Amino acid sequence: MWLDQADGFAEIFKGYLPYYLLVVFPIFIIMSPANPVAASHEFSVYRMQQYDLHTVPHGCRSASFNLEGRSLTSWSMSRHCVVARIQDITIDQFVEIRNKAGALLLVLPKNDTMLTDEQKEHIKLLEMAMMQQEISAPVYFAEWTPDFEDIIKDLQHSFITDDKSGTALEAMFNTVSSNGYQIVVSAPNPQKIDSKPVTIHGKLVGRSSTPQTIVIAAHYDSSSIIPELSNGADSNASGAVAVLELARIFSRLYSSVAVRGGPSLVFVLMSTGHSLNYFATKKWLEEQLDSSDASLLQDISFAMCLDSISSGPLTMHVSKPPKAGTPAQSMKSRLGVPLVHKKINLADELLAWHHERFSIRRMTAFTLSSLQSHKDPSRSTVLDTPSESSLKTLIANVQVTARALASHIYNLTDEENTEDSELFDDALTVDESSIRHWYKYLSSQSRAPQIITTTTNGGVSGALERALSRYMEVSLGAPGVDRREPEYALYAPTRALLYVYSVKPAVFDLILTLAIIAYLTLVYFVIQFFPKFYEEYAKVITGKVKIN
Amino acid sequence: MTLYHFGNCLALVYAPYHMAYKFSGISEYATFSKCVYAGGLYILTQLCKMLLLATFFPDSDNIQGGEYDIFLEILKATVDLADLLGLYFALNSIPGKGHAKILTAAIGWASAEVLVTRSILLWVGARGSEFDWRYVRSCAESNVALLQHASTAALVWLWTRSDLSRKHFPIVVTLLAISPYKSLIEEAIASIFSLSAWALLGLRTVHATAIGLTALAMYAVLAQQIGI
Repeated sequence: MWLDQADGFAEIFKGYLPYYLLVVFPIFIIMSPANPVAASHEFSVYRMQQYDLHTVPHGCRSASFNLEGRSLTSWSMSRHCVVARIQDITIDQFVEIRNKAGALLLVLPKNDTMLTDEQKEHIKLLEMAMMQQEISAPVYFAEWTPDFEDIIKDLQHSFITDDKSGTALEAMFNTVSSNGYQIVVSAPNPQKIDSKPVTIHGKLVGRSSTPQTIVIAAHYDSSSIIPELSNGADSNASGAVAVLELARIFSRLYSSVAVRGGPSLVFVLMSTGHSLNYFATKKWLEEQLDSSDASLLQDISFAMCLDSISSGPLTMHVSKPPKAGTPAQSMKSRLGVPLVHKKINLADELLAWHHERFSIRRMTAFTLSSLQSHKDPSRSTVLDTPSESSLKTLIANVQVTARALASHIYNLTDEENTEDSELFDDALTVDESSIRHWYKYLSSQSRAPQIITTTTNGGVSGALERALSRYMEVSLGAPGVDRREPEYALYAPTRALLYVYSVKPAVFDLILTLAIIAYLTLVYFVIQFFPKFYEEYAKVITGKVKIN
Repeated sequence: MTLYHFGNCLALVYAPYHMAYKFSGISEYATFSKCVYAGGLYILTQLCKMLLLATFFPDSDNIQGGEYDIFLEILKATVDLADLLGLYFALNSIPGKGHAKILTAAIGWASAEVLVTRSILLWVGARGSEFDWRYVRSCAESNVALLQHASTAALVWLWTRSDLSRKHFPIVVTLLAISPYKSLIEEAIASIFSLSAWALLGLRTVHATAIGLTALAMYAVLAQQIGI
């Protein structure tokens, strides 16, 4: 019977097994994965922008960390990761965190539209301050979730501080009752990514024998502190949409010889804008002007750049006030917009407006924008999201621009009869649904340089190229960055997974051990006293004393 | 530190079982193999139960957000009556005096349960850097489970005795009959009074202690009667 053999088996258990276990158990522990359990919280987070411009580093330089989470008030050293809402952190606090803390995790607001104007202004200023210098600690942004709200509240009301608590008992109670959070991001080290900025241009050939050319340009990328969330509705989806719409209107006019205008029109869409110093524009101009068979940009009448035109009435920005009688002056008077004059400052790190790239090459150029100053923080913010009212403004501004351009091209004056004016209106109506569609499409996704200049033959660039090619012949240029002395460099990763582990301080395990030892001692004495207890109990139950 | 925490949990689970085995006097009977045998019976019983559940009951784990079907839960708990059968076989195959029989079967049964249901959870859970009171609680719960199984084993043993006094018989049968539903009842009470997990553990302890004391009283009477 195997049961009899089982006793021999038991002998093996008693004799040798403990010693085998001593060997096997550590091997087992070493072999099993270090962190077998998934964290209770797992979030998708976005890394802060990181790029070099003319080899000057900007943004966050590292990606992974494994640190203890603390609130804005309780952090104290480089082993802490500060967790806060983006609207709570002040610029002074950020500067201190940049210098001393180990990492920073900012939670975006739950809903953009719920923010007050002051909060929006604060976030924009904070973004500017954050981008100004490089920061060596990893900085991440997370979208709002109820879990994050709980974690932030927990951290704010946590008892874990480095100050000495009142009494030992109090300190012990604190360690048992409070929750700590270990925040872990394991991402690859930031790497330069291959970036090929695309320039899309197309030409409508004019009637006149003297080839006058008007350039209409806009960049279609966006910039903000979070590459993955740069929707850039105003800056500069609006400009790109306007270029597409103007291309549509004028391609209709230029399609029949009878109503074709005098000057040729060149429509250009660039994939790097103000954040990368209009690099694509610079390369495109070099290519068009310096090559031997340059015919596209001969005799430029003026270059009109469209930048952020959906937040209010337009303003014309120039680097040199236009003289009377020049085409630029004619455009200004036809648009009826105020003029802002700002000289080009080559000592600045960034050019102020898109037209300055053209002005440097001695072309007459101006930028139309709703913004009054190139320093406006709303040009590069995560809060630049689409809205119905901006769409309305955009449509109105496109209408104004189209009319002004047409009246300049056909050299119309105000003394028109009403019949002509109606014809003109009919030819120049903007297609609201098309504008709406493109505005929604462009502003529904992130168009940071990291994203649009690294995907080839697709994405936003591909869509824009196909759209423009419906109206004219389109050619596409993708100049590379200088290998030895790169004008700019972009870095990935732009997103990562963040794990939050709830942990207890190290002392807690010691206290737990003490508690378990106390409990086991109690169990030991209960078992030891059980026979005595049984006797008494039996006496009570049966009313008799046990005989034996 | 997490391995240390695992050690803590392991001590909390293992030490009471070890002490119950060593200091209750049954180790003198050289009954380790019997404990293993009872454990084997436990695993066999669970396999049979799983077979039954898988064959005759709808797969409710994959239905998300479905209504809590109380009738189905009761039916499922009824399958746990097989545990009593398994305990009965375990008791039958163990020679010796009443209390040795009961303790051996209970310890073997409960150890097998801990090994099968909790060891993986502990190994995976308590060693992670994530801290959760759940693991400590689960360890403490396994101690209560030992008490519970001991009292159930005692009741089964009492039920097998033909010399059990007539007025005790209905009590034994009632307690045995409700024993499969004990966790259902406890959870129902906890959800009615919205008790925390720790309070539920306390409730389980009180419940197990009460049943244990009742069984002990009847055992005492019977032991008096037959003179062991």
